[in-house]
Amino acid sequence: MAALYNNGFLLISMILAAMLALSLYLPLMAGQLSLASPGFYALGGYTAAIMSTRFFSPTGGAFPVPYVLAEMAVAGVVCGVVAIVVGIPALRLRGIYLALATIAFVEILRVLSLNLEATGGAVGIFGIPQPFAARIEYLWIAGPLLLLSMFLIYRLERIRTGRAFAAIREDELAAAAMGIDPTYNKVLAFTLGAILAGVVGALSAHVLNTWNARQGTFDNSINYLAYVLIGGSRTFIGPVVGGMTLTALPELLRAVADVGGLPVWLAEFLRNGRLIIFGVLIALGTIFFPQGMVTPELFEGRRRRRRVEPAGAGRTRDSAKP
Amino acid sequence: MNITLLLQQILNGLAIGGVYAIFALGYTLVFSILRIINFAHGAVFTLGAYFTYVLIGSRFGFNGVLANLAVPISLPFPVALLLGAILAGLCSVVVERLAFRPLRARGADPLLTLVSSLGVAVAIVNLIQYLVGAEIYTFPARILGGLPVAINFGSDTRPVPVRTVQIIIFAVSMVIVVLLTYLINGTNVGRALRAVSEDATTASLLGINTDRLILLTFFLSGFLGGIAGTLVGMSVSIAGPYFGIAFGLKGLAVIVLGGLGDIPGAVLAGFIIGLAESFVPAQYVAYKDAVAFALLFIMLLVRPQGLLGRAVVQKV
Repeated sequence: MAALYNNGFLLISMILAAMLALSLYLPLMAGQLSLASPGFYALGGYTAAIMSTRFFSPTGGAFPVPYVLAEMAVAGVVCGVVAIVVGIPALRLRGIYLALATIAFVEILRVLSLNLEATGGAVGIFGIPQPFAARIEYLWIAGPLLLLSMFLIYRLERIRTGRAFAAIREDELAAAAMGIDPTYNKVLAFTLGAILAGVVGALSAHVLNTWNARQGTFDNSINYLAYVLIGGSRTFIGPVVGGMTLTALPELLRAVADVGGLPVWLAEFLRNGRLIIFGVLIALGTIFFPQGMVTPELFEGRRRRRRVEPAGAGRTRDSAKP
Repeated sequence: MNITLLLQQILNGLAIGGVYAIFALGYTLVFSILRIINFAHGAVFTLGAYFTYVLIGSRFGFNGVLANLAVPISLPFPVALLLGAILAGLCSVVVERLAFRPLRARGADPLLTLVSSLGVAVAIVNLIQYLVGAEIYTFPARILGGLPVAINFGSDTRPVPVRTVQIIIFAVSMVIVVLLTYLINGTNVGRALRAVSEDATTASLLGINTDRLILLTFFLSGFLGGIAGTLVGMSVSIAGPYFGIAFGLKGLAVIVLGGLGDIPGAVLAGFIIGLAESFVPAQYVAYKDAVAFALLFIMLLVRPQGLLGRAVVQKV
């Protein structure tokens, strides 16, 4: 199995995918289906790539970790500001219209990054300096970052803001009538998601060592959406589990093919056709697990003991309404 | 810009606009009936191009399971185009059975249908890649051999040619638009389609077989997608299995501009985006692909109901 982990690359990818799924889950908490995460992911990555290759001039040796952290912070700020600018007009839209507007946003960013000089055009930016000797050491940043974002979302769901998100998700008009400002809360949820995607992008740029326009594409929007919906969109554990499993799945299929003892054609199919299986599994997953793999009911027993009313109650209806 | 160049740009825009229109019609038909965007439509578009490519008797490349397979049949191009589109239509029906019907039967969240159709799209695209590889395929020049030479605008010294392909594309797309308009407005099937798109429950209470109509819609949608795929494949080349994905996104821009589910709107929007793209100045041509999405974004903010649409009153 050690070879499977490819110096920890798969493990890091799984953690990054979990956080990207969370970045899509955040606006979904307020009932907003936004597919903008890859755009902010790309923006964050370019921020880090440009900063580390142009402005910080590393004097040989390993790239200092505090610089990486600073880039992640800057990427978060940049993405947050862009999210507010894009979010205020775009979040007047609902459901599928918002999804389409965010797809347009991602595509416009992609075309821009393909053509601008600062982003290295079609070639992109390469030779992004590495702070660590081995990929697995990125765990020191990615691991705590995932735990931190999970903890913050766990807290968010339990404070006034998170409850306002849930109210808007359930019924925006009723929430507004109760004195909750829908625009403020929707833009806030969207911006939080964008900041997380941007921070992850900044880290990914270092992990991948190169950054180009392929990082922020529509395909990724879909992948992240699949992470959330297959994992479960009603608790933040769902996106984390979904992101990790779906990232690991194609590699697992490859590992199965390598086990040996299988007929040649089957091993060959598992190796080269594993994305076919991936697609079929996504389709089957939505049909057989319409609520996702992780649902709040899984935790309900424990929650009942602590309080009379489960925190997940009232959010058990569908995830995003048009 | 002189007049011949202008004319050429207009013809370019109309040709590509026609393809956008028929591709987007496939999207919009399904949306008008089910209120769901079928994300597998781009994959069906790709399939259509490959089917026609096979049916005219072309050879596969060096990658994939079917490498170097010589196809024993060789049909004339118009027949292959039609058959390819029918096959694409049938594939679209299969997509409906696999990704839409099980979820519809259960009354699931439309969002899930979006993801299941995407799952099927991923499977189709990778199946193509598995079978015939990720190569770029070009339609052989001989299929256009029997056709008249391109019209030449301008003088002999500075010719401004319009390719035959573009004229064919424009003609085919106009024929399709006219036929489809007749089907929707002039036949019983069309009346039933309009009734279901207005109110599916009432329509089925009035004796319309909704399930069969949905199958028909998917067939038509795939048929249109398949034709669009072949036409684009013919005018550029079949750029591998992922060919339809980028095109599918532009199709989204077209249907939003036209108003989701609005058939005349989709045709108009197809031509508008086609013309807008062909008038991007030469020095900004790299940004051409952003035109459709910029229009989409602005349109959503200004007039989400689409070009020809009425404002939808929010029901409380």
